[in-house]
Amino acid sequence: MPAKDRAFLNVWDDTVSGRDLLISLTIATLLSLGGYLLAPWPAPGPLVLGIAGAILGFFISALLFRPKRRLDIEGEA
Amino acid sequence: MDPMILIQMLIAAVIGVVVYTAIGVAPGTDETAVLAPVTLALVVAGIPLPVVLAFFMAAIVAKKLTDSIPVSVAGIPGGVMSAPMVEHAMTLKREGQATLAIRKMASGSVIGTLVAVPISLFLAFLLTPLADVLGQYASQIFFLGAVFLALMSREKVISLVSIVVLAALIQALRHFYWGMGVIPEGRVVFISFFLGITIGPMMFNLAQLLVNRERRAMTVTEPKTIQIYKTDDEHKLPNPFRILTRQETASAAASSVLGSVTFFMSPVGITIFLGEVMSSWVKGTVEKASRALSSMDAVTNAAYIAGILIPLAALGIPMSPMAIGPGNAFFNAPPVLTLEQNAHHLMSFSEIAIASILGAGIALLITYPIAVRYARQICVFVFRHIPHEAFLAMFFALVMLLAYMDAGVMGILGVMVLALVAGLLNRWGVNYGVQFMTLYAAPWLMGLLA
Repeated sequence: MPAKDRAFLNVWDDTVSGRDLLISLTIATLLSLGGYLLAPWPAPGPLVLGIAGAILGFFISALLFRPKRRLDIEGEA
Repeated sequence: MDPMILIQMLIAAVIGVVVYTAIGVAPGTDETAVLAPVTLALVVAGIPLPVVLAFFMAAIVAKKLTDSIPVSVAGIPGGVMSAPMVEHAMTLKREGQATLAIRKMASGSVIGTLVAVPISLFLAFLLTPLADVLGQYASQIFFLGAVFLALMSREKVISLVSIVVLAALIQALRHFYWGMGVIPEGRVVFISFFLGITIGPMMFNLAQLLVNRERRAMTVTEPKTIQIYKTDDEHKLPNPFRILTRQETASAAASSVLGSVTFFMSPVGITIFLGEVMSSWVKGTVEKASRALSSMDAVTNAAYIAGILIPLAALGIPMSPMAIGPGNAFFNAPPVLTLEQNAHHLMSFSEIAIASILGAGIALLITYPIAVRYARQICVFVFRHIPHEAFLAMFFALVMLLAYMDAGVMGILGVMVLALVAGLLNRWGVNYGVQFMTLYAAPWLMGLLA
């Protein structure tokens, strides 16, 4: 992974940090597959819980990490 | 129709609009990835079909309206379908007309929806007698579609070659799953392959990070700078028909009709094709870009609406990319729906019509004003507070989930292989349209060559 934390990676058209990306991928995948495998109900329970896990992963990553973008807003100082 | 069902349809449509208005803005969200699993879950959970259809139509129309927002405000596609519009939106931005772009696109969406719903229902009515014949030749039609889109694309040779190669890989994976005994022989894995192709470019990127030399090339020292264009704040609601010139309205309407008629083709391919055709005889930079944007947005809406409505109302088989992708659950959602007994057989023509009109109507009424008035605020919020990592992680997890659901650990491995190949082909210029059509035609094509 990058030598300094100041390095960013260009992935799918936006900049990310390698460390944050790895953590985010791990959280979302574990929650999603975990929800699917551990759901105690019959179908569609596992699917619903799996999707919920992916969405929860999204929110956790959104709260944990800041976007690596610089906004240049026209008309603002 | 039972008033209780009508009320439920209304509530479902509003929920669909709210959720998918937000999702539409997020960069890179794909209709199949965000809609297929949810629709599937609703159908299997036993929600009445007209209620699910109202939800689905509302979600599609809302998402199509909002995924043009980041295109016009920041030059970033909000989804696969809006990628071809970026170039034209950038043109308008350079001319200092960013506000114009979102208005032209949103108005195009409105026209596309208004034209597509009645046209689709009418086409469905005409096509019902053809259902048996068309159903028999679905694979051939998909194959010809792939060849057509390959010939229309910039990289014709690799696109044509990739039809056979990709079909071979897809069938190889299906036989691999059957051979390993992870799924019963004859059951056709579909959803995870579709998603594998969809996130191909992203998976290819992630794989590149594992290669030292590639990673060094992808490393930058500065975060990406996104310019948010200045837009005029608009507080009164602009009439979509006033925003478009008469010629633009005519082009958008004509594109919508063509987009509806070609419902069985890949909507992305048709969008690119019609957008170029409609703007090719227009002179002047701003005029040309405006014409392309309004027509393209109209086609994406029309192609999607027709793509779900015609197979649903007339054919009973998922004979369009839309029906076989995001709307797949209406045709095949075991154990509730099967190919022999699905939403086409269980819903009357009038139920389908009412649910669609209600869903699409509510989405237009809620999302159009929001898209036109608050485009810039919505975009700034998403770019400031939602990290790209979160999107990448959610997509990755959803694809892993559906791949696991399709075929367990073997399913995950299979999708990784497919995504890697699809991503590489995509980079070489083989567009999604060709790849999706190939996915549908693969069993027939390989059967022919075997």
